[in-house]
Amino acid sequence: MTATTYVALLDGGRREEAVLVERVSPGVYEVTLRGVTHRVDAFHHDHGTVSLLVDAESYSVQLDERGNGMRVHLRDSVFPLEILDERRLRMRRSPGKLTADGRLTLSARLPGQVVGVLKGPGDAVREGEGVVVVESMGMQNEVRSPKDGKVVEIAVGVGQSVEGGAPLATVE
Amino acid sequence: MTNRRPIQKILVANRGEIAVRILRTCREMGIRTVAVFSEADRGSLHVRLADEAVHVGPAPARDSYLVSERILEAATRTGADAIHPGYGFLSERADFNRACRAAGLTFIGPRPESQEAMGVKTSARKRMQAAGVPVVPGSEGPIADEAGASVEAARIGFPVMIKAAAGGGGKGMKRCDRPADFSKLWQTAKRESLSAFGDDRLYLEKFLEKPRHVEVQVFADEHGNVVHMGERECSVQRRHQKIVEESPSAIVDDAMRAAMGKVATGAARAVGYVGAGTVELLVDATRNFYFLEMNTRLQVEHPVTEMVTGIDLVRLQIEVAQGGGVPRQEEIAPRGHAIEARVYAEDPARNFLPSPGKITYLRAPGGPGLRDDSGVYGGWVVPPYYDPMISKLLAWAPTRAQAIDRLRRGLADYHVHGIATNIHYLRAVLDHPAFRSGEYDTGFCTAFAKELVQPPDPALEPVALIAAAVAAHKRDHDRADEFATRAHAPGSEWARLGRQRLLRGGER
Repeated sequence: MTATTYVALLDGGRREEAVLVERVSPGVYEVTLRGVTHRVDAFHHDHGTVSLLVDAESYSVQLDERGNGMRVHLRDSVFPLEILDERRLRMRRSPGKLTADGRLTLSARLPGQVVGVLKGPGDAVREGEGVVVVESMGMQNEVRSPKDGKVVEIAVGVGQSVEGGAPLATVE
Repeated sequence: MTNRRPIQKILVANRGEIAVRILRTCREMGIRTVAVFSEADRGSLHVRLADEAVHVGPAPARDSYLVSERILEAATRTGADAIHPGYGFLSERADFNRACRAAGLTFIGPRPESQEAMGVKTSARKRMQAAGVPVVPGSEGPIADEAGASVEAARIGFPVMIKAAAGGGGKGMKRCDRPADFSKLWQTAKRESLSAFGDDRLYLEKFLEKPRHVEVQVFADEHGNVVHMGERECSVQRRHQKIVEESPSAIVDDAMRAAMGKVATGAARAVGYVGAGTVELLVDATRNFYFLEMNTRLQVEHPVTEMVTGIDLVRLQIEVAQGGGVPRQEEIAPRGHAIEARVYAEDPARNFLPSPGKITYLRAPGGPGLRDDSGVYGGWVVPPYYDPMISKLLAWAPTRAQAIDRLRRGLADYHVHGIATNIHYLRAVLDHPAFRSGEYDTGFCTAFAKELVQPPDPALEPVALIAAAVAAHKRDHDRADEFATRAHAPGSEWARLGRQRLLRGGER
């Protein structure tokens, strides 16, 4: 119930990393990142100071939030990044890219595997209706059409692996 | 001998950390204080710490902190009997110094004549030479035309430095390696000097290979006593701006210290100096040293000397201004090692772009042997109008290695949110093998520029991502929980509030 997938945008949005967070008990989480699940004990102090025990290693982390982004200070490094949940990522993306001819390309938000194709070329779609289902890190995400229209093309098939940002379908 | 002219109330004609620094000593001495502030500084720390504060104009310094009439008016209005100018702004302006005296105020600093003598580089050089102080080989005075300068450059021998007679801070200063470049660099320096100082007189100095910048703190009283307080090594500079200073210098031994001290006190005597001053010296690769300039005021890095000598230089400045005397030379016994790192609101990752803005969170380090001279607080908006330095962090320890480790530890625990700072850059400086070895010169920051601005450690990236995601999860779910609690709370909102207050035991 409290499992949520977050997407971190790094290098000014040129790179993405998905992080699955599941709360086990207050302050204790299971966090899956790059295929590895860590047990994380997080103690939140004041003003963005978080004491993290990742497995047994202790880290004092400073989260400096500014506007949409944040700077994560950790030992001798600073990581500028932006962290989004799926809803915010969707809003950011408005999940497709509008082309000059009024067509929209729906793309995968996260790297994963296509587990379902719900529509075929020529099918009518309503706004918010799912078109393709991509599974990432154990979570199924329906990629939905942002508008009423018609499916022009389905670019992927069930079982296919896709990269984050890969085109899945085109609607018009 | 002290308190012949007791000072009751001091106006501090400055802002930021140095104003705070001076106010602290005044408070300890039981002297009342007056702060001045521009429009941009109404909420600044020095205004809060002073007994009285006077608005002196709009944000730009030329319309406020640099307007001597406004400062004098503030002093008269509040009944201050002395002015401490700090550093920068009006601190080395002989005309302001004179105006203070004419208004019957004690100027906490040297006589205006001493400031004038040291103000123009070429005449200061001439005076120092006459007093037997070694100067960098170069031209006798300003050179009128390019043709004459070119002949002089050949005589001195390339490489040469072209410098502005009215100069300072690296403006109008050019290094020329070969005769072919001379004409172009001479003209550029002339233009720069004219626009920066309104004076295009230039002179030449021999360029010293691998020079170090070492300065000597001097102190003189009006009874003719002049002492020195050892040296500060200031060779870690970026674009001619010092960023890390330490005392003692790794290359100065007792004999050299005594020789430098003799030269520095001689320089002070030659201009009839009174108060705190700093004689800047260039040291070449074979440890010969030469007079560079004298700063006729308190120096930014003065706390380095305070930590090794145990002397409060601001207190001593005030005592000398009251007619008091300086300690005897043999009473000044530096102990251990002190290092200072200047924390700037600037972003090393973006070519050191200044980073003004609101400090959303600030935590300065504590623990053994640290001193934080800060001019800011959490919640303060760093204005874009002034120097971006927000604090100086210092460490003292018995040995140089321990002092570096201690400062390193302090910087790791210095947290400034909301604006970018150079704290990571400072840590990289302290970690660098060339700095650790003590074998560095003024070319340090340029030579190791790439190593000093490091990208984040990729091995730590997963932890950063975990921290950010867990914090986002907590934020989202706390919000959701809070919403659920509110939605399900029975009864009226007023009843709920009342119950909460009862539970907290607060006002009813």
